[in-house]
Amino acid sequence: MKQTSLINLRPGEEAEIISIFGGQMATKRLADLGLTPGTQIKLLRKAPLWGPVEIEVRGSRLVLGRGLATKVLVKYVE
Amino acid sequence: MSNKKLNIVLAGVANVGKSVLFNHLTGLHQHIGNWSGKTIEKAEGTLYYKGYTIDVLDLPGIYSLGTYSIEEEISREYITKEKVDFIINIVDSTRLETNLLFTLQLLSLQKPVILALNMIDLAKEKGIDIDHQKLEEILGIPIVPMVATKGKGITDALNRGIELLKTQKPKPEIKKELTAKERADLSHQICQKVIKITKPKKISWPERFDNITCHEIWGYPAMIVILVLMFLAIFRFGNWLSSVLEEISSGWQIGWESIFGISIFVSLSWSAVESTIALIEIALPYIIPFYLLLFLLEDWGYLARVAFLLDNLMHKIGVHGKACIPLMLGFGCNVPACLSCRIMETQRERFITGFLTTLVPCSAVTVIIMGLVGKFVGIGWAFGLYLFAILMIFGLGKLASKVLPGETTELIMEMPDYKFPNLKTIVLQTWFRLKEFLYIAGPLVIISGVIIEGIYLAGWLPAISNFLSPITVKWLGLPAITGILLTFGILRKELILVMLATLIGTANFAQVLNPIQMITLASVSMLYIPCVATIAALIREFGWKRAFGITGFEIGFAILIGGTVYRILVGLL
Repeated sequence: MKQTSLINLRPGEEAEIISIFGGQMATKRLADLGLTPGTQIKLLRKAPLWGPVEIEVRGSRLVLGRGLATKVLVKYVE
Repeated sequence: MSNKKLNIVLAGVANVGKSVLFNHLTGLHQHIGNWSGKTIEKAEGTLYYKGYTIDVLDLPGIYSLGTYSIEEEISREYITKEKVDFIINIVDSTRLETNLLFTLQLLSLQKPVILALNMIDLAKEKGIDIDHQKLEEILGIPIVPMVATKGKGITDALNRGIELLKTQKPKPEIKKELTAKERADLSHQICQKVIKITKPKKISWPERFDNITCHEIWGYPAMIVILVLMFLAIFRFGNWLSSVLEEISSGWQIGWESIFGISIFVSLSWSAVESTIALIEIALPYIIPFYLLLFLLEDWGYLARVAFLLDNLMHKIGVHGKACIPLMLGFGCNVPACLSCRIMETQRERFITGFLTTLVPCSAVTVIIMGLVGKFVGIGWAFGLYLFAILMIFGLGKLASKVLPGETTELIMEMPDYKFPNLKTIVLQTWFRLKEFLYIAGPLVIISGVIIEGIYLAGWLPAISNFLSPITVKWLGLPAITGILLTFGILRKELILVMLATLIGTANFAQVLNPIQMITLASVSMLYIPCVATIAALIREFGWKRAFGITGFEIGFAILIGGTVYRILVGLL
């Protein structure tokens, strides 16, 4: 199973969260928004020039800063 | 329930229509209002229903009851410590699974909760069918479908709440506090049981539209077009309306004097009236239309896209994308802009954003730039000054983010769907911003208007211009009279232009200032200090020390820049 950072997904690709390497605050905040290990996500779009990414998670759309998105480790959904 | 007085609380995450529900419940009987989903202060209101006097508290829009932010702590404290009869937890039905995460946390506090499934009509449209009876069984709490913008389901929620108090139904099913992971799993399981997707997902027009407005290339020209159109519309409308208002009020001073005679007290009282007129002349043509359009964009969902597109740029100045909202508010008036910095998560970001908003050319500065440079030098130069201000903001933002300790927080923001803007929401939000302007700026502007008149009558003006002439004449290359203007411009910036006209007895400023001096004066006016009302807002938000730090810095900075601009222009032209 191929693992990668969330940031490497292409628009439209789906993946499952394995873990998050952010600071405690960010990790907790992401968890409160439902981004916990095992969660299915879909990358919708990336803003250009190292901007944020937009993902779909649990039927909601969420924007994450690029730095944070790089810390989310995911695996591709088969 | 002998006195029939109830305390209820509205709770929910951001952008679920909580403010709309609150407004429906309490009308204008509320103490403090804020942006939808950005309610930081305690917003309270009263409602009379079926013989009950119900006090409604609108909690901040938060995602968690943990201790990530001050708002979360306040909310948790309030729910656990105060006497709360029941809580209405409002959720966005189209995002039930994420919204339930907060609901599950709320339920663990063991208070009576009514769950309002808001935007149930939108969910149906999207093909999301929620079995609310089943949800009621699973959670063990009353569930009410709601369309808050149309007022549907609101009385149901109140009825169910009152019913709950009478019957003393068993407490909700969730007994203990769950971990974030457990909540996420539970919410997922519940949604699997109660949600049926009836329509296959197809690409709707808002999504198609999103493909343009958030596009990696086309998103930027689209944004520039939308924002430039908005600003142009406001400038044109504002210029037109302010000239109409000026005409209407032009003969009033003579009228005032013919009624009350001519004496010191009549002059002083007239200056109070004149300041009030000035407030109206800035609020009606500029601030109100600006906020109406801005909140139209916000309610429609576009401002979140701007934050998405500009996040990267904002990171360069030490804040994340959401900071562009207070900065844009600053073009209307710096006072509400400063207060809205609370949408930023950390103290550091609030401070940087607050500092930068005071450099944004507000409506009053627009009056100076357009009335002086735009009219007598050329519109291109006027827009050049705006560009210059924006460059300064970036430069200083970068500096501030280097100097202040700490790191930039990453952007975490829910992307709202585009929706048809709700007129009532837009009008109310504009009214709340305007109220902040009137309450904070109003008294200061009127009092300071009287003080200036007093100083003028006492004959102290020449002393001021002499005292400041080393800076104004020697360094900035301006006539000595500008010392008076810049001193009183602190009270409200458009006074710089108004007083100049009074002192030279004509509105043809070309008689006393050459184009270079006009540009120098306008750029100093733009940067040199937050006006008193903004300083008051800064003190409220960041304390005396930081407020005066910003003020002192900006005075020095503007003088430095003004002198430099003057020398460069003299060399070039």
